[in-house]
Amino acid sequence: MENLIINEKITKGQLPKNSVSIANHKIISIADEKIISDLLPQKFGKAGKIWVGVLTAICLVGLYAYYRQLRYGLIVTSMRDYVSWGIYISNFVFFVAISLVGSLITAVFRLAGVKWGSPLTRIAEIIAVAAIIFASLIIIVDMGSPERFYYLFIYGRIQSPIIWDVIVITTYFFISILLLYYPLLPDIQILLRFKQSTGKRLYRFYSFIGSFWKGTPEQFRLSEKAINILCITIIPVAFTIHTVTSWLFATTYRPGWDSTNFGAYFISGAFLVGAGAVVVAMYIFRKAQHLEKYITEDHFEKMGRVLVLLALLYLYFNMNEFLTPFFKMKESEAEYLNGLFSGNFAPLFWFAILIGMIVPTLILLFKKGRKPLPVFIAGIMVVVGAWFKRYLIVTPTLLHPFLPMHDVPESYRHYFPSWEEWAITLGSLAGAMLIITILARIFPIIPIQETITEQHETTK
Amino acid sequence: MKPQNKSIATLLTIIFLLSGYKGFTQTAQKADLSIAVNYFISNNKVPRLMVKVKTKVNGRFQNVAGISLKLFLDKDTAGKFIGKVVTNDDGEATAYIPPSLKSQWGNSLKHIFVATFDGNKKYESANGDVTVAKAKILIDAGSDKTITASVFEMKDTSWVPVKGVDVVLAIRRMGADLAINDTPAFTTDSTGKASGDFKRDGIPGDAKGNIILVAKVLDNDQYGNLSVEKTVPWGAKFTMVNLFGKRTLFATRDKAPLWLQLIAYSIMFIVWGILVYLVFNVFKIKKIGEDITAGIKKQ
Amino acid sequence: MNQENNSRRDFLLTGIAAATLAVGCNSKKDAFEAGAEDGAVASGKKIKLLSVDGEVIEVDEAFLKPVPHLPPVSNTEARIGIPGKKFVMVIDLSRCKNLKHCQSACNHAHDLNPGENWIKVDPMQSADHTAPYWEPTTCMHCDEPPCVKVCPVDATFKREDGIVLIDSDRCIGCRFCMAACPYSARVFNWGEPDILAEVANQLYSAETSIPQKKGTVGKCDFCADMTREGMLPHCVSACPNGVFAFGDMNEDTVTNGTETFRFSDLIRDKAGYRLMEDLGTKPSVYYLPPVSRNFPFESGLENDKTQNS
Repeated sequence: MENLIINEKITKGQLPKNSVSIANHKIISIADEKIISDLLPQKFGKAGKIWVGVLTAICLVGLYAYYRQLRYGLIVTSMRDYVSWGIYISNFVFFVAISLVGSLITAVFRLAGVKWGSPLTRIAEIIAVAAIIFASLIIIVDMGSPERFYYLFIYGRIQSPIIWDVIVITTYFFISILLLYYPLLPDIQILLRFKQSTGKRLYRFYSFIGSFWKGTPEQFRLSEKAINILCITIIPVAFTIHTVTSWLFATTYRPGWDSTNFGAYFISGAFLVGAGAVVVAMYIFRKAQHLEKYITEDHFEKMGRVLVLLALLYLYFNMNEFLTPFFKMKESEAEYLNGLFSGNFAPLFWFAILIGMIVPTLILLFKKGRKPLPVFIAGIMVVVGAWFKRYLIVTPTLLHPFLPMHDVPESYRHYFPSWEEWAITLGSLAGAMLIITILARIFPIIPIQETITEQHETTK
Repeated sequence: MKPQNKSIATLLTIIFLLSGYKGFTQTAQKADLSIAVNYFISNNKVPRLMVKVKTKVNGRFQNVAGISLKLFLDKDTAGKFIGKVVTNDDGEATAYIPPSLKSQWGNSLKHIFVATFDGNKKYESANGDVTVAKAKILIDAGSDKTITASVFEMKDTSWVPVKGVDVVLAIRRMGADLAINDTPAFTTDSTGKASGDFKRDGIPGDAKGNIILVAKVLDNDQYGNLSVEKTVPWGAKFTMVNLFGKRTLFATRDKAPLWLQLIAYSIMFIVWGILVYLVFNVFKIKKIGEDITAGIKKQ
Repeated sequence: MNQENNSRRDFLLTGIAAATLAVGCNSKKDAFEAGAEDGAVASGKKIKLLSVDGEVIEVDEAFLKPVPHLPPVSNTEARIGIPGKKFVMVIDLSRCKNLKHCQSACNHAHDLNPGENWIKVDPMQSADHTAPYWEPTTCMHCDEPPCVKVCPVDATFKREDGIVLIDSDRCIGCRFCMAACPYSARVFNWGEPDILAEVANQLYSAETSIPQKKGTVGKCDFCADMTREGMLPHCVSACPNGVFAFGDMNEDTVTNGTETFRFSDLIRDKAGYRLMEDLGTKPSVYYLPPVSRNFPFESGLENDKTQNS
């Protein structure tokens, strides 16, 4: 009975304005068809194939390095008793930071009523999912006894911040998947129309995840509601994931980590690197899939402004983090701070501050600096700066313990990652990019349905 | 010999000498062992023998483990065999006197305890002994917290007091004994008595305040090691205050603080409740879609 | 002859460990003989011995213990600790000249790999014009251990007797405890430990900390297996200068093997202190300041060079 009523409603054209039933093929205009054909996922071209090949190769080298690490133990790394956390943990923090972008672009923009952001939501969500997957993988890589990973679930101790992190990363992963999935449903229906060009396996996959979407008003209502709930839920969870990650450090006594500023410092940094990653991805997808009409110069202009805001915010928290201890120069922190400001780590430290925050801000403050290419360059600077910033958060502190580094072999007193560490780290970065690439191959990188809807609204 | 062969032979000789050097010294020169036999009596009951084996390495004595020793009473003959022992990591081994030596034991007031080692690949044969006269020690604790120890020696058939023996008066503690005051040892007078005042007021005892006093003669040339114990209620009553098993941040997983569990689990419950609802929502949407498909097929 | 053989069978007391083994004819519970206390459940099997008076008396076998060591305790017992004890260590800085006998005894006893020291002897100097001194550091066995707080899987734990131990069969190797420990007491088995197969194949016990395992954390365990038998930790007995004193806080007594002190008097008279008191970790290791030293600081330098190259 109910089905009949719905069908009746559709045939009578009693549709809500923001929903377009493509299933009935009646309301689709030529303009819409153009959008669909523009935004449909494209098979890899030559460049795409090379790109995937290179990423896969890097991943394989990383896998080989990990095999060596499994076989011989963490001895293959350069980590030792003092620097017991190295670039794996830096990289973990970096991934967690980037994953925060899903909540920024999608949830914050949506709840704040920022309309221009909608073409960027899918990019942000894909990045978030890829980053969170590799954040959890890299933490397993860092474990000395990874075969006992499941102990975290059967012997989990709620007092430990690591367990909080495990819980919140799992939660964030599921929310990110849902936030990727819900807005995909209308697009899946469009994708299913192109059975021929899709290929059999992919078609079956589309059918499996979304063949039930008919675009009825009720379905739209339920989906809208779900996305709204998700957007509200993801913000506190996203804040938690990065705050808890900062607590892995801030719950210790170590100079440089023992800071009440750490949660906010990490979150502001995460928003910055996330936004940076999105502008880089925007630029690349725009070039690769010829999306100039959909990711416009205006998007770069606006994302440029957002980046400036976030960079200044992060700079502010950096000031808080370093100026006050510098002013006091406590004995336990003096050597660590001097190491950063003028010692061994100074080049890296000032690189991260300048390239990660100040130079991008200077570029983006100018109108000409907010053209796609400069924004892209600024984005790369932000991301690279952010990676080294994470390195600086982890390593220098560990090289400045309270008691002198004594009665240990010489190799324990400094740290430079071994080739295995670099290979695994680069492999994980390549892996994250590979996941982004594959997801962009499977799903439309710009939400088709939403674009059509918005098109209709603007023409009206 | 060809020059080539000659050089090879020289080389081989050098290699042989270099590699064999250590071995030569080992076989040529076995190390010497020093065997010390110590005699202990606790509470005037069972005599105990403790053998300690050491060797000198680079001018320093080191304990030797795994040395098999035979112990004899008075003479190393079969009929006077006490037992066979092997030293542990600390170079020590312990034995008691078996009942089979009852008559031999009663024969004399003085005994020699002999430990023999037959020698092995690394060490020369060696032996050690100790001569001990039968003695006993008594302890008495007065109500004025004075502790008196009395040392007696067996002469003919009776116990006679011994003068000039150093006695340690102490409180039994883990791994060692704490002297009752700052005097390390007291010497017996002509009545065989040595007294000291208990100056460890407030020292923790057991739940009832009991502590164990001990009077000891240590490494005496004639009597070996004698000790005797006495329990007195002079300690402070001790009740264990223990954080173990309390709900703290450093307790085990089943002892997590309640406030933490409450906060953590309620947040998890709410968030995962929402997530489960949203997954359920997908199925709701699916149901609608499937109903439509079914409807179209019917038509 | 036959009789002798029988008695010999009764008396093949091979390799008894404890010098202070309980001869429990008076079979009362002896609080000072930890070994006797734990094993002092009368086995019912009597052994005939000769008494000093020449009498043959019967003694319960359990009080003689002709075994070198107590069998390793179960994991559950190892996690609870020795009842009624609260272990404490006092390190007298005025006696240390960096001989490192503590370190080598510890490394030997726990089969540690070179470079992996549970005891470190640090040259300390707080400021340019303050006097340098040698400071041996062990695990502090804190009463509010920051390392235990952060362990995600209960692999490291605080016991009733104050000892903080590691269960290497549980440890996942996340190394959070190492980051959390302000005393840098913890070490990690980065690779496969280079130990004899017979050691490596032993069943792991948290009290002996043997064998160390790849990918897990290790640290000073206050020689929990030794203290269970009423003996002193290896570092304490190895030090020729009596730097380390160990004991039961509940008995208010510490000993370095040759000298025995009342703990509270010692701490009061020599102004004992603990490291990094401001962090609130409440360590179980106390230090006596390096005043009226037995050795000049320089006497330890030579040894430092050879061991730290």
